[in-house]
Order: sequence, then C-alpha cells, then structure tokens
Amino acid sequence: MSLLEVEKINSYYGDSHILFDVSMRVEEHEVVALLGRNGAGKSTTLKSLMGMATVKSGVIRHNGVEIQHLPPYQRAGLGIQLVPEERRVFGSISVQENLQLAAMTAENPRSLDEIYESFPRLAERKRNRGKQLSGGEQQMLAIARAMIRNAGIIFLDEPFEGLAPLIVRDLMGVCRKLADAGNTIVIVEQNVRAALSLADRCYIINNGHMVYEGTPNDLHGNGEIIERYLGVKA
Amino acid sequence: MPSMSLFLSQLFNGLATGLLLALISTGLTIIYGTLGVINFAHGALFVVGGYAGYTVYSLTDSFVLAVAGGAAVALAAGLVMERGLMRKYYSRPPEDQILVTFGISIILVEIVRGIYGGVSLSVAPPGWGQGVAHIGSLIYPLYRLETLGIAAATLLLLYFVLYRTSLGLIVRAGIEDAQMVNALGVNIKRTFLLVFGLGAMAAGFAGVINSPIVALTPDMGFRYLVESFVVVVIGGVGSFPGAIIGGIIAGEILSLTAMVNPQYSDVMLFVAMALVLIFRPQGLMGQEGRE
Amino acid sequence: MSSAHESTVAAHGAGHRTGGDAPASRGKAPASAGTVHAGGARRQLPEILVGLCLIAAPFVLPYVGMSPDLLTRILIWGLFGLGFDLLFGYTGLLSFGQAAFYGTGGFVTAYLLTADLVPNMLVALLIGTVLASIAGLVIGYLTLRRTGIYFAMSTLAFGEMFYFLENSSFKEYTGGENGIAGVPPPHLSLGFVDFNISSGWPMYWFVAVFFFVGFLIARRIVRSPFGAVLKAIRGNPKRAMALGHSIQSYKLTVFVVAAAYGGLAGGLLGLFQSYMPPDAFALDTSAQLVIQTVMGGAGTLLGPLLGATIWLYLYEGLQQVGSLGPYWKLILGIVFVVLVTSFRHGVAGAILDFVRTRRGRLPADIDAGASAKVSSELAIVPPLESSRPGAPVLEARGISKQYGGLKAVSDVDFSLREGELHGVIGPNGAGKSTFFAMLAGELPTTAGKVYFRGQEITGIGVTAVCQLGMSKSYQINQLFEHLTVRQNVMIPVLARSRGRFRSDMLKGLHSDALDEQVNAAIALVGLSHHADTLVSEMSYGEKRRLEIGLALATGANVLLFDEPLAGLGPEERVLVVSLLKSIRKGRSMVIVEHDMDAMFELAERITVLYEGCKLAEGTPDEIRQDPSVQAAYLGGMDDHEFA
Repeated sequence: MSLLEVEKINSYYGDSHILFDVSMRVEEHEVVALLGRNGAGKSTTLKSLMGMATVKSGVIRHNGVEIQHLPPYQRAGLGIQLVPEERRVFGSISVQENLQLAAMTAENPRSLDEIYESFPRLAERKRNRGKQLSGGEQQMLAIARAMIRNAGIIFLDEPFEGLAPLIVRDLMGVCRKLADAGNTIVIVEQNVRAALSLADRCYIINNGHMVYEGTPNDLHGNGEIIERYLGVKA
Repeated sequence: MPSMSLFLSQLFNGLATGLLLALISTGLTIIYGTLGVINFAHGALFVVGGYAGYTVYSLTDSFVLAVAGGAAVALAAGLVMERGLMRKYYSRPPEDQILVTFGISIILVEIVRGIYGGVSLSVAPPGWGQGVAHIGSLIYPLYRLETLGIAAATLLLLYFVLYRTSLGLIVRAGIEDAQMVNALGVNIKRTFLLVFGLGAMAAGFAGVINSPIVALTPDMGFRYLVESFVVVVIGGVGSFPGAIIGGIIAGEILSLTAMVNPQYSDVMLFVAMALVLIFRPQGLMGQEGRE
Repeated sequence: MSSAHESTVAAHGAGHRTGGDAPASRGKAPASAGTVHAGGARRQLPEILVGLCLIAAPFVLPYVGMSPDLLTRILIWGLFGLGFDLLFGYTGLLSFGQAAFYGTGGFVTAYLLTADLVPNMLVALLIGTVLASIAGLVIGYLTLRRTGIYFAMSTLAFGEMFYFLENSSFKEYTGGENGIAGVPPPHLSLGFVDFNISSGWPMYWFVAVFFFVGFLIARRIVRSPFGAVLKAIRGNPKRAMALGHSIQSYKLTVFVVAAAYGGLAGGLLGLFQSYMPPDAFALDTSAQLVIQTVMGGAGTLLGPLLGATIWLYLYEGLQQVGSLGPYWKLILGIVFVVLVTSFRHGVAGAILDFVRTRRGRLPADIDAGASAKVSSELAIVPPLESSRPGAPVLEARGISKQYGGLKAVSDVDFSLREGELHGVIGPNGAGKSTFFAMLAGELPTTAGKVYFRGQEITGIGVTAVCQLGMSKSYQINQLFEHLTVRQNVMIPVLARSRGRFRSDMLKGLHSDALDEQVNAAIALVGLSHHADTLVSEMSYGEKRRLEIGLALATGANVLLFDEPLAGLGPEERVLVVSLLKSIRKGRSMVIVEHDMDAMFELAERITVLYEGCKLAEGTPDEIRQDPSVQAAYLGGMDDHEFA
C-alpha cells in the first residue's frame, strides 16, 4: 500500500477543468518529482492533494484511507503539508511566530532549536517579520514550517522559483538533507535539472493530463519526451 | 476663548470616548479583517450588552457582575449569530453580508425593545464611581475617569490576547491569510466563531461600561456603529493599533468640536472620514489595496 | 439629464391631474432608428399593467382595508424606490444614505411653499428635486471613490451628516426637531380653472400620476443603452471598464438620478402630509427604503412598491392583532432576514423566477426581432490616420517593472507587425503576466514606453486603450454571468458606437446597426444558437469562446489573448485554435500560451521571456532550435553541476 494514492482526479478552478483523470502514487521515504511546463497543472495537483483546489471526481488515499473530502486542516493533521508556490509566509508576524503557529497543531512537532540548527539564517532573523525577509529566506521559512510539523509527506511547490542560483544551491542542500533523512517529498519544479537530481521517480503533466512516469535515468535517456513535454517542441 | 479647565475637561472626555470607541471598533475591525464581514449588527450587540448589564445590575446591585453579564450575553448572541447564519454568508457578496447583519440588528433591537420598552433607562454609576475627582484645578466626574481606566485596561488585555497568546497569533495570521492558517492545521471555522464571539463580547462590554454615562435606549446602537466604522476607516482595516489611534482621534474630534459648537461635532467626524476616504483610503495604519 | 426628467414630469403633472387618461396614450416610446419591433405592445406590458392597477386600486383595495392615505404613502415610497432600485437593483450600488436626498427635496419644497417664495407648487417640487440632485452629485462624487462596504458605509455616514445638519446649521429653515408644518395643499391653476387637491382620493390620484410617470421614465432608462451598461457594471465592473465604458461616469449619473427620484418623493411627502417631518433625513428612512426594496425584490423597479406595501400593510395589519402590535418590526426583521437568506430576489423576484421556470424565458427577455437581423461583417475599428505604413502596430520600448527590490520585467523590447500573430512564451516566473499587463496599457511601467500605432499608451488604462482599438481576452473568464450571450456582446458594441460615456437614458436599446454587429460577433465565435442563453448556464468551453467574442466585439484591430486555451479539454483546444486562426483577417494578435503545440501551430513569430528579460525572438523553427531557450525550459539539463 502506497503512502499516497491518487486515482483519476479531475480538478477545477471555478468551472475551468484543469486536471483530467490524473493518477499517481507516492511511496514512503520516496522523493517524487512532478514535472511539466507552467500551466500544465502541476501546482493544481499539489493543491488538490492538500484540499485547496476543487476536486470533482476521483479518489485520494492516504495510508489506504480516502481523504478527498477532508478540509485542509484535517489533512495537515494527518501529516500532509504543502509548501505553496507563493510561499505565503505571514508577513505581519515574526519568523519565530510563523514557526510557532505551524507547530501549534502538530502531533509531534520538532523543537524550535532543531529548526534553528538546520536553518541558521532563520535563527539570525527570528525576530524579523515575514515581510522583511528576502525571497530565499522566505522560502526557507516556508520549508521550515513544514519541517517543524514533522510532516509525514511534504509537497514542495516550485521551491526554487525566482531565486538566485546561489540561494537555489543552499535550498537544494536543505532539500537533500530532508530527503536523506527519509522524509517523503513530492516536488513540483520547472527547474528540471534540480528536481531530477533529488528525485527517485518522476511524473510529467501536460495540459492537465499525466503523460509520463519513470525514473530520472529513464527520462535522461528519452530526449523526445523531454523536448515534447518539458522543453520547446522540436 | 474656552477656559483651560474646559479644554482639559474636554480633552479627557475625548480620551474616554475615544478609548471606548476603540474598544468597540477593535471588535469590528478584527471581524472584518479576519472574516471579511462587516458586522452591521455590531451596534445592536452593544445595546444588547448594555441592557443585559442593566438587568443583572438591578438584580445583583453589583456593577462588576453587570459588566460580566452584559458581556456574556453579547458573547452568546455573537456565537449564535455566527454559527446560525453568518457562516452561510462568507462566500456571498459583501452587499448580502451587510443586508443580513442589518436584518439581525433590527431583530436584536426589537427584542430589546419588546422586553424593556422604548423609554430610556438610566443606570446609576457604581458605588466606587460616584462623585467627582480633582485633577489639579479641574473637577471631573469620577466615573468618567474610571471608564478611561477600564477601557485602557481592557484594550491592554486585548493587546495581550492578540500579541501574546496562541489564539491571538492565529487571529493575526488569519487576518492576513486565513487559507494558509487552515493549511497549517488550524480549524479555521472554529477560529472564525471565536473571533466573532470576541468581537461581540467587546461590543457588549462597552455597552455596559457606557450605560452610566449615556442612558440606554434601544436605538442608540446605530450611532455607535457609524462612529466605530468611521474609526475603522481612519485607523485602517484589520489593524488593532489603527483602531486605538483612530478611536482616540475620533473621540477628540467629537469632544473638542463640542467645546466650540456642539451641533457640529458629529459633522466634523464625518468630514474627517471623508478626508481619509479621499486622501488615504487605506487608513492610517491599514495595508494598501485592502478593501 | 435630470432637468430633462423634471420638465417631463412637470409637463405631465400639469396635464394629468386626475390620472384618468388611458395610459397607452402617455409616454409611449418613440420608434427608434426607424424600426418598430413586433411585440411592441407586449414589451409595454408592465407599463400598461401598472397603469391599470393604479386606476383600479381605488375601486378594489379599500375592500381589503387599504385607505387612500395608505395607498398614497405606498406610492411615495414606491417613487423613492424607483430611483433606489436603479442604483442598487440594476447597478449594484448599495447606498444607506438616500434619506439625504429625500429630506433635501422635501424640505426645500416645503420651505419654498410655506415661505411663499414660489407661487407654483410644481415649481417648488422642481426646485426641490434639482437641489436634491445637486446634493446627489456632491455626495456621489465623494462616496463613489470606493466600492462595496466602504461605499455603503460612506453613504450612511453622509446621510447621517445631513440629518445632523438639518438639526443644527439649517435649523431656521427646517424647523429643527419640529419640521415644517403648514405646507399648503397642492393647488393648480390652469388659467381658466383652479384645482385644489384635497386629502383622500384626490391626493392619491395626484401622487399616482407622478409615480406612473416616474415608472415610465425608469422603464425607459432600464431598457436604454445606458441601462444596459448599468447592468454590466453590476455584473462585472472591471470587465465593463475594459470593454470601453467609463463606469465612474455611469455610476455618478445613476446616483444623481436616484437622488432626483428621492427629492421628488420627499417633496410629495410634504404636500401629502401638509407637514415635512425631520425624520425624513433619518437613517431609519434610508434603512426602510433598503428593506422594502430587498423584500419586494431589487432589480424589478416594482420591488420597492411591493416592499412598501408589505411593510405598511404589515404595520397597520399587525396593529389590529392586539398582542402582536408592538412586535411588528421584529416580525419584519425576521421576514427580512429569511428573504435575504433564502429568496435572494425578494418577493417580486421569486414570482418572476417562478414564471420563468414554468414558461421558459419571459417574452420580454428575448428580443425576437434582434436575432432575425442579417448578420453583416463585424466592424473593425479602422487604424488611425497617423500611423505610418510598415510601422509596428503595437510596440514596447525597453519596458521594465520593478516592485520594491524585485524586478519583474527588465528592459524588454517588443513589436507587433500589422496582421501578425505573435506568441509570447516563457517558463514560470518569466514575468509574462506583468509584461502583458504593461503591453495592454493596464499597468504603468517603471521604465520604458508602450506605443499603439505610434500613440503612447503606457498605463493609460483599459478603457482608453479599448476606445483606441485594442482589447484583451482574459485567462480567467470575465463575463457578465447573469446576462445572456446577446446582452454580454452588446456591452462592447455599445462602447464602440457610443464612446466611453453617453447619458442616453431615454433612448431605445435596439437598432439595426447594433443588432447586426452583435449578431456578427456572436456568429464569429460560433454561439449563434446560444444567443439568448444565460451565461451562467453555458459550458466552460462555450464561455471561453464568449470571452474571446467580447474582445472581438469591441471592434479591436489589435487583440491580446491571455492563455485562451486555459482549462480547455483536448477537443475544445482544437476548436479554439481554429477560431483564433479564423479571426485573423484585418486584425493583429498577441497570444500568451503554455500549450506549445497550439503556440507553434498559430504563431508567426515568438518571443521568449525568461526571468523578466527577453531571451529570444524569432520564427517557431528558430525558437525550437535555440539552445538557450531549451536551457531555460529544462534548467540546463546538459549541465552536470548538480550530478
């Protein structure tokens, strides 16, 4: 039984049909990459899993239990955590308060000290408000919020978008540590290279349809698929 | 030229009125900031609290119990309102929210009128509030001075709740991004209920405190609703410090203008609101673009 | 326009004291643009019905216990509500301060008559109405700067301000708390005969005339081009603006019209009661108007009348039931809350909905004549004379956008040639939406300028840009959901033919020219068989086509498409792609899309944006083979930095 099973979900934004019969699975301790050009439906997939998009049909199972009807806070209670695309760090409260809020409802939260050890930059800025942080620091805080909850499965939605290469490298280190520690991660990224270097398996979405499943090695060898769905068609 | 003692007296009045307004407005602005709902029944909750306090006061002769009773009844009314009706309205357009809370305010006011009648009821200040205080050369009603203290203390308590407790943290984050708070595991529906209840309780509390100063009439609520909205506009939506500053400004405008020409005090308040709407629509402490 | 309204009222008022004339001879719409529509009598049905009811009322209603005084009072509220319904029911502006105008009109009229400053009652009413309209202009200007809750509360606050002023600065004129007593009963001299309108039935007829004329005018407004724009503003104000209408002007105008109706009603109140009460200015009055309109049904014109009937009848009726008497307002409050929660359209609305579901669409909703018009070619705005041939139609020179420390777009040049279909692509975060918004003149640039046919359009706003001949179709459908396809498409066509604003409130909506253009646009996007379907009932794919149709119907010769294929299934994508190809003639287009297959099929040239800068530009083939573009999309897959 997979940790997460997604069966033929159809997601909508209003009455705009974004995902068409999308299926995938995530095993425990795996890192799964969800790839595709923007507009393909990658973010919508993660949001659907978190309960933040309208899923009109299909099934989502967590440890065998159906969760597609649960509101986001109950899914968070099960250990599912989304680090959203826009980061959505609370700008009006401090770094520490952001972390405290995240830890509040977690069953078995990590301690603040643990988090500050993994993210020394955040420790330095713990009294600063969210809106005073740089883009990279906000991304770190967003990931730290998921970490402090000791989430069973973390969804990373475009964690490297809009960040300078050096920051991306730092964040990659964080992600790699998370992966090495055995966390289950689903990462959505347009930066194909970065995503594949972390992933055990990958999926590709195109125009709302799931079109490929395989390992990074399989994908590396399949130039046609890469160009067709990820690059600019040859 | 008004005398110095008159001026000081009015200044105090303004502060007392202002802090009381700030108390009422805090409830309004937090409800609006977190839930996105403008509660037209806020003035009615003020009235409900005031009358409930009157009843408790007549039964127990304890002003403290009266305050507790009034606040509790207003809290209950707020919780029932949210659970029973407001929940259905979060996704409806703002005009619908205005209309339904307006309707609820009529119901509440008429219930009060039905129970207590339409004649104004005066409430005697508590034993510890009777008489006058001497501040230098100024003679000032003791109870008014005390309301200043009570309002300030309550606002301080609210500050403590907002900035030092978990609930307060949730509320402050929720004002900014309620959906993300939900995604971080907090049952946002329960939070909304609590926020609404707290806001209602603040209004009811203010209603009891105010009753020895201004006699109770069932229709008095709208005046306070309008004034507290002006405070929210001046201070900025969803901002607790904004409600306090806005409240003080509004209180002083009302008070100092009354010194010059009592008939114009309310008009001046609206002029101030008009100026804010024209030149700084987001208010003094509000976030730009928030509507 | 308010003076035109008033002179009509005055003329009719003078000529029809007894109200016994057949309604059909009064106020019939003059034929517009030479066409008289079949079913014209049917479309006047409400007017005829109302006229008949007004005439029949004195003979029927007394049997259910309604006195002439009650009926007159209901009519005054109904008149007040006609204006308010135009404001709230049709344009969506909830004002809690209408009492300001009711009071102004009423007190001015009463004062003029009691102070004997004006001999003629009708002139007094006119002046009162005009002054109320001026008050409307001032308050409207201040309050319409905001929308929604802020607008509602500001109107409430200003209404209260008038109440306080009545009792303070203007006390000597208004009598303060006492009001103005001794308003002389209405009196009309026609030279050879004098009419004294006493209380009772003569007063009823007097007021009924005003109501009827007011109703006729309101009906005209609702069915005029002006009225169509009002409905659009209620449905989707941003889109109405983007389709070329200056919505602030429309809002202010209808606000003044509502104030005029309020002022007239107030004046009549003073004449009716021989006394002008200070609570005409009170919040209670504004609130009562809102409650009555919502209960009766907003957006029906007769809702307020119905609501007033319910309110006043309930009030008087419940007094008879001894024990319930004092609780009438509580019961009213409960009824109100129930209506707002469940019957969102009020009593009249519920009736109309019921009729609609039973008999299909009401005949008045469908313009039978319109769909029969032969559809011509959809007119396209001709290019300005100043543009040089061969010059780019749309051009951006070094545009940048900076938000604090973040540079969303950096120094991008872009040019669109005449007749070209130019695509814009880029990975996420490339700055495409910001770039597109600047190109469309929506967003001001931090640096650089945008030119449309040689004319600078940097940040001039969507309305101006649309009037110049460029229009955008949105990624998320921005339609008027509560209107039909035809009514939707009419909005841009009206802006094309009438400009940003025209106060043509009394003109008929339909004309051959209008209908032909509307039909042409609808046909162009293949929705002719759905022309009279409500948008809310259409499928997503059909809505998407309408979205494109709206942009086309503006007559734009340059079109911007923001992800036109968003949310479409595979078959629908094919349809929309061929639609985009079919509309190219005479138009130049820019498309932002993620669907690469579609993009490469459609575009002649493609610009690639990456991290806010222009990365590459060229034909589809050139772009496909460009290694830097591949690298941008794939994150440099061939690099082994992260191996």
